[in-house]
Amino acid sequence: MKKIITSRSPAVLLAIVLALALGTGSAVADMVAVVSVHNPVTTLSKNQVLAIFLGATTRFPDGRRAVPIDQAEGSTARNAFYLKFAGKSPAQIKAHWSKIIFTGRGQPPREVANSAEVKQYLAEHPEAIGYIDHTQVDDSVKVVLPPNQPVD
Amino acid sequence: MSVLKRMPYRRTTATLLAMALLYVYAISASAQSDNGPDNNGLDDENNTPMFSFSGFGTLGVVHSSEDQADFTSSVFKPNGAGYTCSWSADVDSLLGGQLTATFTPQLSAVVQIIVEQNYDNAYRPQVEWANIKYQFTPDFFVRAGRVVLPNFMASDYRKVGFITPWVRPPIEVYNLVPITKNDGIDTNYRLRFGEVTNTIQAVYGQLTSTDKNGSNVKGRDQWGLFNTTEYGPWTVRLGYYQNRTTLEEFKPFFDAFRFFGPAGVALADTYDCDNKRITLASVGASYDPGDWFLTSELARREADCFAGDNTAWYISGGYRFGKITPYLTYAQVKATSNTSDPGLDVSALPPELAGIATGLNAGLNSILAASPEQQSISIGARWDFMNNAALKLQFDHVRLGDNSPGVLTNIQPNFQPGGSFNVFSATINFVF
Repeated sequence: MKKIITSRSPAVLLAIVLALALGTGSAVADMVAVVSVHNPVTTLSKNQVLAIFLGATTRFPDGRRAVPIDQAEGSTARNAFYLKFAGKSPAQIKAHWSKIIFTGRGQPPREVANSAEVKQYLAEHPEAIGYIDHTQVDDSVKVVLPPNQPVD
Repeated sequence: MSVLKRMPYRRTTATLLAMALLYVYAISASAQSDNGPDNNGLDDENNTPMFSFSGFGTLGVVHSSEDQADFTSSVFKPNGAGYTCSWSADVDSLLGGQLTATFTPQLSAVVQIIVEQNYDNAYRPQVEWANIKYQFTPDFFVRAGRVVLPNFMASDYRKVGFITPWVRPPIEVYNLVPITKNDGIDTNYRLRFGEVTNTIQAVYGQLTSTDKNGSNVKGRDQWGLFNTTEYGPWTVRLGYYQNRTTLEEFKPFFDAFRFFGPAGVALADTYDCDNKRITLASVGASYDPGDWFLTSELARREADCFAGDNTAWYISGGYRFGKITPYLTYAQVKATSNTSDPGLDVSALPPELAGIATGLNAGLNSILAASPEQQSISIGARWDFMNNAALKLQFDHVRLGDNSPGVLTNIQPNFQPGGSFNVFSATINFVF
């Protein structure tokens, strides 16, 4: 445990310092997984969300088709999502998909440009699942929370 | 002569499929541009592009301190670093392109072309994969055509350096069966038990390759069964593979033994790789929680011919300090069948035949002694300087087994077996 804390905290500090320096304010981006309001799915564990986004499954736990939607490569939202849900860097995610592509087992998720486009896509595709910053959540989408986590 | 006749046919089977796909791709690409910007090739039902192109490559240089033999990455390469060049770009450099066509959610096809140093020193594109896949269920598919031969944990992507932590997978193990592909079928069946994913893969087919002397290496009736179990950061893999191998290069040599009566025939039958069974049993395990990894594979190849039996294993670990991953690997290969043979009884022969028999015995013993025996320690680091590109530096210290050239090739007359040498490699691996 001690090791994890010591190895993570400098990275977090650095991120905060960078955020302040760059004045983006959104670096403490808290990404949430979202689906269409017409999608009956309400709860998914971190691992279940990841399984869909990393291509391990093409189904929601109830057996219905799940189509993941990525944000643009290199975007803050995308990097923050994979860091939060998988603890993986953009390069590690790239290597993961290279492995799947070059073994002929699949293709990475479709990409859209930003959070607004994720919401627009979800509105038209009830089978889709995306991620956006929690500040971007509105009535058009539904946040999927881990089981037993209180809604705030 | 039959060799020459067969080669073009062999090329066409895989190449035809590749060309057909590229043709459909070209037609669809031009049709797409006619449709204007709205249709960007996406099939809405399937939500995936009909065609997608991906590429990968490695630019590398290698230096070896052994200047009386060549160090290289595959037994199919004619030369490498050391004797031929002090620094060689041929050992690891390659460029690959892959076109995937998704016709329906179930039916897709893939063609992968790789350009690298061939057996004859030329850089000609070769069809690595060209197959059609039918996904019966999300957990079960069958592919037909040229498919991967997945003998080792990293077989599926051994040529995509960007995926692996090392400059190249440990050659002590990976060269036990140097062929990487199979013309035939394979099937994958995935089962989930809670958080455990188990995948069974079966392959069947054949492959004819060309060795560095331009002779055919024929693998017939090759089949394999591989089971991969994944649980969190754990991956455990078990495999068994066999084929019937013919190494045409050595046939004239062993046929010469057959002129020396029953004893000569017996030696030829024992050692000639003429439709002889080769088996490979392998086990591998990997632990990768994200910040670090530990991987090990053990494999034993048995050949009912001069290639003999070898056992090889490696263990490798690394720690990911952000974008930099230093790693350490130990690898070893041992020969476990005889590496010498008394050969023909020369004393009973008239002098003129005794001379020939002595020459044949010497030839046989040099072939047997070439069975790889070596151990190596590698230290290296990978730097992910871009999201899709990595720089790797690796230093290997290799100690050869007594009388063995190890995995070295292009052995020169002044080569001293049983010594040690160092290899330095630098590569840039990228995907696009």
